[in-house]
Amino acid sequence: MLKLNHKHFFLLPGLIVLVAIIIFPLLFTLRVSFSSWDVVKPGLDWLGGKNYGRLFVDMRFWEALTRLSMMAVGSVLIQYVIGFGLALLVWRDIILKRFVRVLFLVPMMTTPVIMSVIWRTILHESLGPANDIIQLFGFEPLTWLSTARMAMVSVITVEVWQWTPFMFLLLLAGLLSLPNEPYMAAAIDGAGPFRTFFSVTFPLMAPISIGAILIRLIEASKLMETVYVLTSGGPGTATETSSYYIYIRGLRDYQIGYAASLSLTYLVIMIISLTIIAKVLTYKFARN
Amino acid sequence: MKTTYLLLKYLAILLWSSFVALPFLWALTTSFKTANGVTGGATYIPWLQYEPSLEGWKVLVRTGGQGIDIVAPYISSVVVTLSASLISLALGTLAAYGLSRFSYRLGFVKNSDITFFFISQRIMPPIVLAIPFFLMLQFLGLLDTIAGLILVYVALLLPIATWVMVDFFNNVPSEIDEMAMIDGCNPIEAFVRVILPNSLPGIAVGGLFCIIFGWNDFFFAFTLTFTKTQLLPVAVVALNSSVTPWWSLSASALVSVAPLVIIAFVVERFLSSGNMAGAIR
Amino acid sequence: MALVMQNIDIQVGGVAHLDDINLTFRRGGLYTVLGRTLAGKTTLLRTIAGLQQPQKGALTLHGKDYINLPVWKRRVAMVYQQFINYPHLNVLANVVFPLKRAGVPRAEARQQAREVLAKVGLAEFEKRRPAALSGGQQQRVALARALVKRAEILLLDEPLVNLDYKLREQLREEFQNIFEGQGDAIVIYTTTEPAEAIQLGHEMIVMDEGTVIQQGNPLAVFNAPVTIRCAEVINDPPMNIFRGTIEKGDIRLRGGVRLPVPAHMAQMPEGPYRFGLRAADLSIGGVIESKVELSEISGSQTILHLRGDIGAFIFYEDGVYQHSIGDTVPVDLNSDRIYSFSVEGDLIAAPAATDEQWR
Repeated sequence: MLKLNHKHFFLLPGLIVLVAIIIFPLLFTLRVSFSSWDVVKPGLDWLGGKNYGRLFVDMRFWEALTRLSMMAVGSVLIQYVIGFGLALLVWRDIILKRFVRVLFLVPMMTTPVIMSVIWRTILHESLGPANDIIQLFGFEPLTWLSTARMAMVSVITVEVWQWTPFMFLLLLAGLLSLPNEPYMAAAIDGAGPFRTFFSVTFPLMAPISIGAILIRLIEASKLMETVYVLTSGGPGTATETSSYYIYIRGLRDYQIGYAASLSLTYLVIMIISLTIIAKVLTYKFARN
Repeated sequence: MKTTYLLLKYLAILLWSSFVALPFLWALTTSFKTANGVTGGATYIPWLQYEPSLEGWKVLVRTGGQGIDIVAPYISSVVVTLSASLISLALGTLAAYGLSRFSYRLGFVKNSDITFFFISQRIMPPIVLAIPFFLMLQFLGLLDTIAGLILVYVALLLPIATWVMVDFFNNVPSEIDEMAMIDGCNPIEAFVRVILPNSLPGIAVGGLFCIIFGWNDFFFAFTLTFTKTQLLPVAVVALNSSVTPWWSLSASALVSVAPLVIIAFVVERFLSSGNMAGAIR
Repeated sequence: MALVMQNIDIQVGGVAHLDDINLTFRRGGLYTVLGRTLAGKTTLLRTIAGLQQPQKGALTLHGKDYINLPVWKRRVAMVYQQFINYPHLNVLANVVFPLKRAGVPRAEARQQAREVLAKVGLAEFEKRRPAALSGGQQQRVALARALVKRAEILLLDEPLVNLDYKLREQLREEFQNIFEGQGDAIVIYTTTEPAEAIQLGHEMIVMDEGTVIQQGNPLAVFNAPVTIRCAEVINDPPMNIFRGTIEKGDIRLRGGVRLPVPAHMAQMPEGPYRFGLRAADLSIGGVIESKVELSEISGSQTILHLRGDIGAFIFYEDGVYQHSIGDTVPVDLNSDRIYSFSVEGDLIAAPAATDEQWR
């Protein structure tokens, strides 16, 4: 048994709380996933692996997963590109930096769901400014929330609005901490802006880029709230993400047993994919 | 060539700034509209394109069946966010200090594993925990209560607080702790008398992150509360039906995001005065 | 009554930081520990302070077990090389801190603190924060805080190494006064500079790679290093070592150099030896040819790295001279000052001790 001394006083309270609030529920979910708990038969019976068998052929689950991957990866990449671009523009500019830093910071601090509520009014096809402005420029109005493809675009747009500031701030901080020497060397070698970017800036920023992308991917993989408010998973199931589908099965249809198996499978898939992505990115880009 | 670049640069910044400001400006102007400012199509400028009215705002303070109660959710959000943040920050700072200074072993599990365990909780999709939390709170009779929410939010915020503080403590030289112990403090006294007073920047950042994540959460409040307790995000989203007019919706939304936007400005002033520059790295 | 270390072993990651250390420190003693970086000096102090636990060995103070006593219960004071002070407290509060922890009433604690601050020359800086002070002043605050405790054991870990040259000399003198006034306390002072170790200590302990290679009266150790290793550590620049033999009444070095056998080596049999000579005991002008490999100027002296047939060696001359790389410089070796060591490195004969200023 451990000899209790001062060092335990520091770690144990937090660790115990975390284990109690997270590990026990997880274990409980595991147990529930082997039962058929639903609204008709509440309670823990034993179903063996039936729920997992069912989810294996549940196309809706796998489609949701695919959609989630597309929307998450898509929006994170766009956030990265725009965020990096903005950071590069503002990097050496002293006047702009102060002004934009506040402005660009704000979306990140707002409550995502509430902003989605506002976005829903913006993207309203007949009454919202989105189509209004588009028509001002002479284009056809877009079916923001009523067609499958545009619905995904809408979700991605809202996500990009909300989280690009995060990328921007992280990448800007990274740029500001870069050493000067490589740039002086590049200037001496006569490298132009594009050369300098690809041979100096981008490689030097690799670790920070990877960190930022990973953090955003982790958060994006939980995508649910925006979908709930903006499209309710629709039209149909066009924007249904894994979280949203599990929410429907578990807390709307009250098929708790099945939803438990879905959520655990989802968790494991997420952990594995994120770990693989992390390793691949680090291996490919940060091998120094 | 240089001027074209500059022009494009400022254009890009302008475009992005407009994109960022769009929802706020739209919500602001919409909150002053009435039916004719909305049903005819998108309108922007008051008096020119529509008749402004305070109806959207008045409804927030009107009580009874006609009004939107925004005050109760506001108070609930404040109580839950602050309580959970405080508890998470306290537990997280203690745990982070331990992880930073001492080495723990439990079989093959060591410090870096424990730290990873704390931080990796962020990967957990809320839905995975929502089901057991629901059943757990139901069992404890804490569904739809503030206490129940605080309990759940601590689980959410503790990893964040720990993550921020571990990083911070790793950058505080441990010689100061040693000096305190040599001067007669046991490790706990050393922590309280010497480390804490010098950790205020880190704690401020940790507290800030906790407040942001706590205030902005929707999912747990959504699945674990119904009528008795409502947090702000849930209250606003509940208004997102065809019954509530856009103007009250916009007003409610603006009022709800206002506190953190104000904090954003405060934080920015702090950042640029270099106070927290060292803490957030 | 003393602090006794017996068979202390400390291993970190497979590397022995302290290897079978046996030392006794007596009350009122002023010990200097000399060694190069990574010799184990810091580990030694940290073990005494309780910040590191040995894997093996015993540590007792006045006969009572000291190892299992936690840091905060030991009556130890320590001054680090990095200027460690409490950043959130002003100078006075910094010095009062340990007294308050010990339960000394506030007024008395402040009084004592002020006295010690006056002793280290910081009386007017009471209200300043350490961050607003210069390096030397910060270190004085750390020193004051260490002194005010009147601890049984006062440890100083290369306290002057991060200060500039002039400040180091100044504080070294002040240290001598301060340490005299420490009464019964055991003072242990580590350094990498031979001059400092010899000047400050009553007893000197020479360490290398985790072991004690020699200890004793500083000048005695200086004049008679027991091995070549000691000779290298105790001298700065390191003692020059030449391979050679004694044959037919001559010292024969490589390259055909012959020197007369000095009086202190008269009884040595013929055979191969290794000879040592301090850098300061060479002179310019003579018959031994050598080429300059490197020339450094340090203070008001020139250090020449030379190479000739006798081997590579270092010469230390007073004054500032210009030499280019490749220059030929003839040198002479003062054979009266030569040390001889066996081929394995043990001391055989040392020149008569002088109280000439060592450098």
